[in-house]
Amino acid sequence: MFSNLEMAYVFVYVCLGLIAAGIILLFQMKIKHNAIQRETERFTEKHHDYFVYVQSHLHDDTTLELPPGKLTSAERRVIQAKFMEWIEQFKGDAREKLLRLCRDAGFVEQEIRALSSMRKDRRIEAVYRLGGMRAEEAVPQLQQLMNQTRYGPMTIIIARAIAKSAVSSQQIREMLSKLLSYDKAIHHMAADILLETRLDSASLMRKLLDDPDPGLVKVSLVAMWGQAIPAVVPALDRLVGSEEKDVRAEAVKLYLGSNPALKDDTIAALMNDHEWEVRAAAAKALGRLHAAGSIPLLASALKDENWHVRNNSAESLAMLGEQGFETLCQAALTGEGPARETALYRIERIMSNEGEYEQVEQMVAFNKRKLVYDRYFGVQTNKRIGTVAGVGGDYTA
Amino acid sequence: MVAIYYVMIVSALYFVILMFSFRNIKDIFRRATYSKYNTLSGSELVPSVSLLVPAYNEELTIAENVRCLMTLNYPTYEVIVINDGSSDETLKVLIEEYGLTLLPNPEIRGNISTNKVRGIYYNPQYPQLYLIDKENGGKADSLNAGINLSRYPLISSIDADSLLEKDALIRMARMYMENPEETVAIGGDVRIANGCVIENGEVKDVSLPRRMWPMFQSIEYLKAFLGGRIGWSHFNGLIIVSGAFGLFRKDYVIAVGGYRGGYPGEDMNIIIKLHRYMLENKIKYRVSFCPEAVCWTQAPDSYNILSNQRKRWGRGNLKNMIENRDMVFNPKYKVMGLLTMPYNVIFEALNPYFRITGLLALLGYVLLDMTNWHVLVVFGLVNFLSGYLLSVGALILEEIAFRRYTKLSDLVKMLLFSALKFVGYHQLGVLWRVQGHIQYLQNNNSWGTMTRQSWKDKNEAA
Repeated sequence: MFSNLEMAYVFVYVCLGLIAAGIILLFQMKIKHNAIQRETERFTEKHHDYFVYVQSHLHDDTTLELPPGKLTSAERRVIQAKFMEWIEQFKGDAREKLLRLCRDAGFVEQEIRALSSMRKDRRIEAVYRLGGMRAEEAVPQLQQLMNQTRYGPMTIIIARAIAKSAVSSQQIREMLSKLLSYDKAIHHMAADILLETRLDSASLMRKLLDDPDPGLVKVSLVAMWGQAIPAVVPALDRLVGSEEKDVRAEAVKLYLGSNPALKDDTIAALMNDHEWEVRAAAAKALGRLHAAGSIPLLASALKDENWHVRNNSAESLAMLGEQGFETLCQAALTGEGPARETALYRIERIMSNEGEYEQVEQMVAFNKRKLVYDRYFGVQTNKRIGTVAGVGGDYTA
Repeated sequence: MVAIYYVMIVSALYFVILMFSFRNIKDIFRRATYSKYNTLSGSELVPSVSLLVPAYNEELTIAENVRCLMTLNYPTYEVIVINDGSSDETLKVLIEEYGLTLLPNPEIRGNISTNKVRGIYYNPQYPQLYLIDKENGGKADSLNAGINLSRYPLISSIDADSLLEKDALIRMARMYMENPEETVAIGGDVRIANGCVIENGEVKDVSLPRRMWPMFQSIEYLKAFLGGRIGWSHFNGLIIVSGAFGLFRKDYVIAVGGYRGGYPGEDMNIIIKLHRYMLENKIKYRVSFCPEAVCWTQAPDSYNILSNQRKRWGRGNLKNMIENRDMVFNPKYKVMGLLTMPYNVIFEALNPYFRITGLLALLGYVLLDMTNWHVLVVFGLVNFLSGYLLSVGALILEEIAFRRYTKLSDLVKMLLFSALKFVGYHQLGVLWRVQGHIQYLQNNNSWGTMTRQSWKDKNEAA
């Protein structure tokens, strides 16, 4: 019993010691953090006039001066943070002026030195700041650091810094290859990082689309979402036939988004692709391209096993004039299962927009559809077909 | 002495978990500080998310909470509020506030069975907001109804009494994007909003609660989320993602049959089911914790409401352990089977019994021979000091990475309540858990009363 109690006493003393140390540490940290906070506020106030001076001359020909006098390290930190904030906000000459100021003030040099710091915290802080200051001279060291780092959030921070600072497409390529080498399917994150670059996007994307590495091709395809880059359309045309499933799906979406002139056999091939994403993208594009010849294909796609393909087909049919709308009505009246429900839903959405059109052409188009609707479902004042099941369900699930 | 050893072993295990939290906290600080969210929050490359908000009798807070959710810094998302047959004016408040009308033929994509959906409301002026009105079926049933309507590949469950920080979702999405194939769920950090200044559905000024019960819970949450969950997530052993705020891959949630209805503890249950599914199908996966994604919640501020909540948690925990007993000490389930589940059974579910029997045995021992009174004192000290040390550890983690409470007086108050917690509150926790277990044995399956206050009243009262 005695030895057991001895052990309990030891436990109690150890806990007491650790608690005392913990409380001292807590107070020390809290006081230090609050002091840094107050210091930052004080120096921001002190250099307010200098910040106004820089801001007011960012867009003229004046060569910007550094703040006068000898600065403490805390003051330098405050000024650097403000410059970095503005670098993110401005582009063109204003940004270049700020980048030059960072160099002249020695901020870039100081952060490059910090990349060799013994403290990991300081190294990562330096990486972040170098990226913020677009420090092209730091890229080789950043690449080296990235190669030595195990995959994790720090890898993303370093990759972003490289993307911001890189001055050649080769540096970007190497960074992306390293990022994809971890095999984590992070194409979206990589694409987001790629968009941080200052390099000309058209030529960079063209290079990446021609890269033998399908991973890089996919990253560039993802990065082009929502962007119109005419220079890359030939490359997309080629990638539509890619063997890589993901690459093909992404390429089809982008290619169709560029409003190309499609041949009938291309349309048929895309609508019969074994990947639902390709079929869905093709079905969506056909309405927008006014491809009236594809109505039979869209009608049969209403029976597709995938929800997206069915709905995109219905949406496109609704965009293809009276003929397309009539095909929808036929499917709603004579079809069955998911095809019928999809058609009914689309018709219901169109008819519920009655009275909301202001343009004469829109009203005429709506009235034509209404005539077709009345022909199929009879004239019903203020009453819609209410036969869709309350819970439709995804038949692919 | 067995009781003292039990406490020492439990404490040692807590310390190991805490050490893992310390090991990771610097990385968490760095990623939170040096990851840019303003570019991501405007990026089309971020995955789209469906926010599911089950609401039962939330008329006082729901309008403000939905307003908060509609203004997150996130590119593409939808908010699906599920009115779970509320007996108050929850439905009316939302319909009037957002001018919602009944959708004639809503697109319902999923087919998880739920109680009858009475209607789905929508207003094209708020294209990302949907309101499901359904018959009462509980929180899990509501979440399943939300999943059925949801459009996007990720779903996020959010309690209707909680407010998300504007960057909370984008922080989680960043973590998801770092490893999208393996990530099946991510939990957020839940903090107590009582005492904070809330304006327009946003926490404007962070302060500690002024009332006793929420203050204890504030300390308790810090300890559980920072001290515990960061450590558990390090070796993929998280057993729960808080129902108040979590992000999930919808395909896997559907693959495990959605949320389990009919019993509390659905947030723990879904995570256990996900672990089981992934391990049985030998799919590489992770359940992560993102402490920088913060959700502020209203904590119960009266004895009755708090005790109801804790009894419900006790019931839910026991039910989950009994339902999944085949996983305990089963090597097939790796960390879950060999560590998390046994830990939860021995040191969480059965904890009250070990402590009570230990205390009674010690009392008996001391009563037999009064000269051994100091053994009782040592037992008390071991209990108190080990628990207090863990609280101090959690406060250090908070100070290293987050520093939400900036005043020195806040620190003093937190240290004080961390100690006071062991005089009454801790013991009540043990009692509530036992009462929860008794309710389980009595087949008492009620949710209990959860009275809400509007955020405005809360500001004045907290």
